[in-house]
Order: sequence, then C-alpha cells, then structure tokens
Amino acid sequence: MSCGQHFKVAIIGGGPAGIGVAVGLAKRGIGPVVLIERRAEVGGTPMGYRKKPGGVPTFVEWTRGRVVFGEELAGRMAKRLAKTDTTIRLSAQVTQIDPAEKRLTLLWPEGVCDVTADAVVLAAGAREQTPAEKGWLAGARTARVGFTRHITGWLDGHGLLPARKPVVVGSDLIAYSAAAKLRAAGSDKPVMIDRRRSPSAGLFERLFFRRWTRPDWSGDVTAAGIKGDRSAAGVQSSDGQDWHGDGVMICGELVPNTELALLGGLAVELPSRQLQLARGQALSEPGWFAAGNVLGGFHGAQWCYFNGRQAARRVANFLE
Amino acid sequence: MTQFGTWQPKIRGKLFYNWPQGACEEALRFTSAGQLGVEPYDVAIVGAGVVGCGLAYRLSQYDLRVLLIDRLHDVGEGTSKANSALIHSGYDAKPGSLESKLLHEAEADWPGLAARLKIPLDPIGGIMMAVTDEQERQLEAAEKNAHANRATDVRILSATEIREREPNASPDVRGGLLVPGESLVDPFMASIAYAEIALANGVDILLGADIAGVELGQPPGAPLHHLVTADGHRLPVRRIVNAAGLGSRRLADGYGGGAFDINPRRGQFLLFDKSARPLVQHILLPVPTAHTKGVLVAPTIFGNLLAGPTAEDLPLEDPAATHTTVEGIRRVVEGGSRLVDGLARQPVIATYAGARCACSQGSYVIRHNDGAPGIVTVTGARSTGLTASISLARHLIDGMQKELGLELSPDSAALDCRPDSAWPGWWRRPFENGATDARADHGCAVCFCEVISGGEIRDALDSPLKPRTMDALKRRTRVLSGRCQGFDCQVPLAEIVSGHTGIGIAQLTKNGPGSELVVPGQAEVTA
Ligand SMILES: Cc1cc2nc3c(=O)[nH]c(=O)nc-3n(C[C@H](O)[C@H](O)[C@H](O)COP(=O)(O)OP(=O)(O)OC[C@H]3O[C@@H](n4cnc5c(N)ncnc54)[C@H](O)[C@@H]3O)c2cc1C
Ligand SMILES: Cc1cc2nc3c(=O)[nH]c(=O)nc-3n(C[C@H](O)[C@H](O)[C@H](O)COP(=O)(O)OP(=O)(O)OC[C@H]3O[C@@H](n4cnc5c(N)ncnc54)[C@H](O)[C@@H]3O)c2cc1C
Repeated sequence: MSCGQHFKVAIIGGGPAGIGVAVGLAKRGIGPVVLIERRAEVGGTPMGYRKKPGGVPTFVEWTRGRVVFGEELAGRMAKRLAKTDTTIRLSAQVTQIDPAEKRLTLLWPEGVCDVTADAVVLAAGAREQTPAEKGWLAGARTARVGFTRHITGWLDGHGLLPARKPVVVGSDLIAYSAAAKLRAAGSDKPVMIDRRRSPSAGLFERLFFRRWTRPDWSGDVTAAGIKGDRSAAGVQSSDGQDWHGDGVMICGELVPNTELALLGGLAVELPSRQLQLARGQALSEPGWFAAGNVLGGFHGAQWCYFNGRQAARRVANFLE
Repeated sequence: MTQFGTWQPKIRGKLFYNWPQGACEEALRFTSAGQLGVEPYDVAIVGAGVVGCGLAYRLSQYDLRVLLIDRLHDVGEGTSKANSALIHSGYDAKPGSLESKLLHEAEADWPGLAARLKIPLDPIGGIMMAVTDEQERQLEAAEKNAHANRATDVRILSATEIREREPNASPDVRGGLLVPGESLVDPFMASIAYAEIALANGVDILLGADIAGVELGQPPGAPLHHLVTADGHRLPVRRIVNAAGLGSRRLADGYGGGAFDINPRRGQFLLFDKSARPLVQHILLPVPTAHTKGVLVAPTIFGNLLAGPTAEDLPLEDPAATHTTVEGIRRVVEGGSRLVDGLARQPVIATYAGARCACSQGSYVIRHNDGAPGIVTVTGARSTGLTASISLARHLIDGMQKELGLELSPDSAALDCRPDSAWPGWWRRPFENGATDARADHGCAVCFCEVISGGEIRDALDSPLKPRTMDALKRRTRVLSGRCQGFDCQVPLAEIVSGHTGIGIAQLTKNGPGSELVVPGQAEVTA
C-alpha cells in the first residue's frame, strides 16, 4: 500500500464486526474499501477458539441454531470476506487517528504509513477488564494471573494448561466458558468469585456449561487481594475468605477498545471508555462509525457481524 | 543501517544466570565458580539495584576485577523497579545531611548522565501545592529549607500563579512552591544502562545468586573473603560492598556488621492511562508531613500519569511489602484528588507497590570495614536512591580509597556511555530510524497498547544483559505494561521469546524460578 492512499471507506479491525462492514459495503458496490487488522489473520477474537475434539464450543450461531467453536464461525465469515474486493491489510495496526481529516496512521511490516478515507468504521472489539480497573481486586503481582485470552492462547495454541486449580474472577458468559474450557482440558473444578451477589450469566448459559463444570461460586466479594509469592496462590478477601488455587483467571466484563477514539479526540465517556454516539452507530465526528463489541457491553460474534452489516448501511447513507 | 544490539567495542565481562534447569540457554548458565576464573575479585557488589549498578558503572572505569551479584533474575528488580521515577533536587532534604549533599551533586550530574546512559530524562519541574491554610503557613519554611539545600531556584507561587501553570489544580489550592529541579526519568533503564556499560567494561555479573553467607578471611583480618551462595558456590573476593537494600540486614548478619535496623515502608501507586497525561504540567507534590512526603501526582516519562505513594511501615521480610490493597489505592485516589481536580474520573491501567528501605539510623548509612576489613555496608537509601545512585557511587569509591586502601588506575579502554548501536529503547523506535526498511519485524506490532514490535523484543533479547524473563523484557521494551496489561500480548510474546532463544515455551517465567507462565511440569502439545 503506497503511503497517502485514499479509500472510500476504511475499517479498523477485522473481527466479525469489521468483516460484516466489508461484506455489507461490497453488497452495495461501495469501494475501494480497506480493512486493517493488526493480527496476522482476520476473524478477531473467535479465531483463538480452535476446534478440538473434547473441546468446549462457546459461540452461538443463531442462524443455524447451534453452538460452535469460534474458528468455525469466524472462518465462515472470513470466506465471505474473501469473495469481496476489499483490500485487506494484515499485521497492520492503526496507531493514531485524525478524526477531522479522516486520516489513519498505521504501522505495518513496510513501516509507518497514512491512509485517508471518506468514512471510517471503528470495529476494534473489546478486551477484558484488568484488576486495577475492577478496583476491588488488588494484592500481589505474580505469574499466572491471566485473562480468558491467555486460556485460549495457551490451551488452544499450545496444549498447555495455564492453571490446574483455577480461581476464576468474574461471572458472565465468558467467565463460565473459561471455566468450562479449563475443566474440559483437565483442571480441577474451578472456583468462581465476583463482586456481584449472583452470577451475571443467565440461567440458560449457566445450564449450558454445566455439561463441563459447575464452578464453586462465591459472590458479594467487595475487596480482595491476589495471594502468592512468585505465582498466584489464590485470592483472599479482606473479610478473611480464602480461595486457593495455582492461577487466577480474570474473565469477562469487557472493556471496549476505544483508545484510538479517546486519544484522537472523539467523544468517549470516562472512566467507562464508552463511545459517545451521535445517533445510531455514528460517532461524534461526521463520517465516523462504530460496530461490534467496541460499542460496549457483551455481544455474540454473530450479532457483531450483523451489526457490522448495519453499519455498512449507515455508511452508505452517509456517503450519499 | 545500525544493527541494534551490537556493541562496539566488544563486551568484556561475563554474564551468568545461576538458574539450574531454568529458562536460559546453556551458555548463560552458571554451574561452577570456576566459570568466573580463579583470581579473586577486587570488589564484589552484592545487590544489583540502582545503587549497586551505579557503583559497578563507576568502578568499571578503573582497572579492577569487579563482580556484581543479585539473587533476582535481572538487575534493578528489587526496590529499584517500583518507585516514583523522579530525579529529586533535594530541596526538602535535611540541610547539611549526606542525603542533601548527594542529591545536590546528583541533580547537576543527571542531564549529562542521562545522555551518556542514553535514557530519557524530562526536566519538567515540580510544584508543591498547599491546599489548607495550615499548609500554606509552612511554605515559607519549606522555601528556606530548600535554599539551605542549595536549591536556590525554589520560590513561592501564589494560587493564581499555580492556576496559570496548572489549570486542573484543585480549587482548594492556596499557594505553593515552584521546584524547578525535579525531573522525570526511566527508572528501569537507569539500572540496566549502568549494568550494561559495566558489563561491557569487564565487570562480571551473576544473577539468580542469593548470597546466604560470608566466610571471613582467616586468620581474622586476612584480606580474602568468600561469598557463599544459598546453593553452596564459594566466590573469592577481596572487598565486599553490601548494597542489598532490604536484604542488607540479613547479609550484614553474615559478616558481623554493626547495628542498624531497617524495615520496608510500602508505597502504593496508581497508574492512569495516557489520556490522563495532559491533566498536569508539572510534578505536583503535597506539603509533606513528618512521616512522609505524601501522595504526589506526576506524569511518567512513558506518557502516563502516576499517583502515589502511600507510606506504610511493615516488618522486615513481610511478603506484603510489595502488595497493593484496595484500601491503599483508595487512599492514593483521595490524596491525589486533593491536588488535581477530576483525577478520580481518569481511566486507570495498573496499581503497584514498592518497598522503601527505611532505616532507623537515618538515610544513607555507610560503614567501612564493617565486621571485617574490606567490607562496606551501604543501606537506608529510603526515598532518593535512584537520584543519588551516581553521586553515592563516587562517594563510596572515595571511601573505599581512603578506608579500604583501594587503589585506582583508570582503564583507558573503558566506555562511559552506551554506544549508539545499543538497543534503541522504547523512546527511540526503530521504525522512526528507517530500520523497518531492512527488517519487517520492526513493523509488526506484538504489544498493541504501546505499539512494540516483535523485532524490538528480539533486539532486547540480544541486548548485553540477555534478559530472559517477561518482566525483564517489560522493563526494557514496555511490552505488557499498557492498558490491557498483557491481555493481547502475553502468549504472542512468549512465542517470540521461545522462538528466538530456543527456550521451551512452557519453561518461560514472569521473573525467575517459581513464576512459570503456565502450570509447571507440562510438556507442550503441538497444536
Ligand atoms: C476474551 C473474550 C472472550 C470471548 N469469548 C466469547 C465466547 O466464548 N463466546 C462468544 O459468543 N463470544 C465471546 N466473546 C465475544 C466475541 O469476541 C464477540 O462476539 C465478537 O468477536 C466481537 O466481534 P468484534 O469484531 O466486535 O471484535 P473482535 O472479534 O475482538 O475483533 C476486533 C478486531 O479488531 C482488531 N483491532 C483492534 N484494534 C485495532 C487497531 N487499532 N488496528 C488494527 N486492528 C485492530 C483486533 O485485532 C481484532 O481482530 C469474547 C470476547 C472476548 C474479548
Ligand atoms: C514508593 C517509593 C518511591 C520512591 N521514589 C523515588 C524517586 O522518585 N526518586 C528516587 O530517587 N528514589 C525513589 N525511591 C527510592 C529508590 O527507589 C531506592 O532508594 C533505590 O531503588 C534503592 O536502590 P538499592 O539498589 O539500594 O535497593 P534495591 O533496588 O532493593 O536493590 C537491592 C538488591 O539486592 C538484592 N539482594 C538482597 N539481598 C541479597 C542477597 N542476600 N544476595 C544477593 N542479592 C541480594 C535484591 O534482590 C535487590 O535487587 C522510592 C522508593 C519507593 C519505595
């Protein structure tokens, strides 16, 4: 990609939402479109969930009424993307944006480069909340305090268990799926703790994961510390409750990846990091849109894909 | 194109990890004292914190056989890794004290020193802010004290003057003190750069070696001692400098060192995201109390905003000395909010705690021929050791000449700075130097928050101290230290380290044995 290239639309992020935008724009004949993804492959978060015998499928495919492995679902989306004329840039990270100029600066294997567009869609996804962001979890800084992303990275990527006696912090769908994945891979029954009184995952979701495990639940934890010297040995609450383990997994409670918007000067609420929407999926600066989990909250991969398709419609209206 | 990581002239010192079966290559592994040669060391420094590293750097300018030892698996991994990261002007020291003298000298040293170490230093200056009437009344005395410490540029500011400089200052601000001599620095790279130059000049470095005892020369007074590691290695040395920080008491007990009492004084910090950086323009300091300098709010050299520390005295050897607490962090937010409006709304990225070496006998206790001839104890570098590391090193070498009979002849081949070809560092990115043209991996980010490329990780792995733990890489490259705290990059980073060094991915650690990233004892199943 030569520097200074101009596109009709630039999409930041190649997960389900970004792919949905690209497919939607292609259906409308809008182009040229560039999709910029910082990983070496498209597909986003679900791609890390490899299909394995004995593994736990955690992605609902509503259109087919079943639960599948992330890479199956994202793989099908990627195939649809491959049929479009979208310019795809992999291992390319948008590092800075200029909202008024609709200019993106990116780092990719050929160096640093700027691209501009008539419209930009932010589809950067989300990450899991850190202990410091939670505010109620402090303590030691040790090894084996990880996130769900590390469970998939170690387990699906390398066949390695990040924890044998896991203490899962969090109680949403992601936390339950993390517990199930660990248990299915041979860990002890996970302990699950959260600040909430009762788990935030719905009854249906909890029942689904009961096939693999039913974590030992403790709610209402208002202040706690991670125990351990060099690696995590569990969590202890300030009122003396003690949960032993050999790894602490911080799961769920997604935080949207809105730092580009925040540092670039688009309207973002603090400290929640939520994008402020002008209306629909439109951001505070004309020509900027968002789709998928970057909008905040938790949404399944297929919802994000269709949300991307919807964003494509809004972009098309804007371009007219 | 500069090939980063190559040092010209060549590295003369030896580097070993005392890490049986650990996550380093065979060539780096320490198995017997013979690997260090038979000739006794002229000086062995126990403790590779910023104090020990600074001393090694200064000693490496002379023709001496020097050994630098630490029990941890990188330099600067003790108290030196968790502090406020400020170069202090010493304006608030006790006039006439050794601390006052060391800080005054060091303040003048730092601009040139940072240039030689090739580490970033930002002289943004500080403002001490009075937010109550009582505090305002203390300003005049504080100004006088500063002038007595030769910080003659310190002067009183009115509330209006402060608001002009700091639009987000608390509405309660009554007035304050401008302290131009305070600067931001990269605290990690200070120790690392000192140690790299020392190593290049021929200082040997042994990491992972816990010195459990000292065998004094026999008959008493004989000038050859042995340091004994916890796993039984005996290292012959003529002179010992105990720079072991919070470990200095236990070490001194091993050679019958004189009385001093130390304990960890915990300081908790809260780090805010880069979006919070524009909130302040200076290092904002509270009016200190008798016990503590209080919670300050300062930018970091990395472009974040920092609030802290607390001051909590804990017993020696308490593992909680570097733990954070929910209550402590709440106090930091409270303290910081007294100085800066809107601080509590800022997005946080991490908390951490450091343990000051608080000594009842005062700051900077130095004893020569302590317990036996040839032994120096230096302890109690409580709140200013990073700043004073350079002037303290000179002071220690002076003392060793006078009191220990150390003879110095300059080594004409010694470097006093890191060469341009040294690994560039997070502040001097390779893709800003055109290096991406030659190496695509310099343009391929692995840490997305701080935008660190895989190539930079490989460069850091090849740098002189051969960092082999995740934390060691973090301090050099800033990987794992952004807002996602390793969410995205932990596993890809481990893949790069394993691929580049050949160390099995399941062996990799956060900071040495016992801190494996995955449950130990597993074999990798290839996917
Ligand atoms: C840890 C985790 C676990 C989850 N587990 C489940 C589960 O088990 N089941 C389930 O149904 N849902 C799960 N989800 C939700 C699932 O991720 C979403 O449903 C879906 O993947 C969101 O799609 P997206 O495109 O919005 O974001 P993502 O899939 O996260 O894709 C965003 C993409 O943008 C890229 N990107 C971000 N910033 C930049 C930039 N600056 N430059 C270039 N590229 C960038 C990222 O690399 C990523 O590929 C999980 C989410 C997370 C975070
Ligand atoms: C909260 C806080 C804020 C601070 N802010 C600042 C600041 O802004 N500016 C400033 O200048 N200073 C500051 N300081 C002070 C500064 O961090 C310290 O003075 C300095 O790091 C002390 O360095 P050191 O080398 O003496 O100790 P350490 O860094 O603790 O080094 C001692 C080393 O000895 C090793 N060791 C111990 N026992 C043994 C043994 N038996 N065998 C082998 N190795 C051993 C340890 O592993 C350790 O690495 C602050 C400190 C704290 C805690």
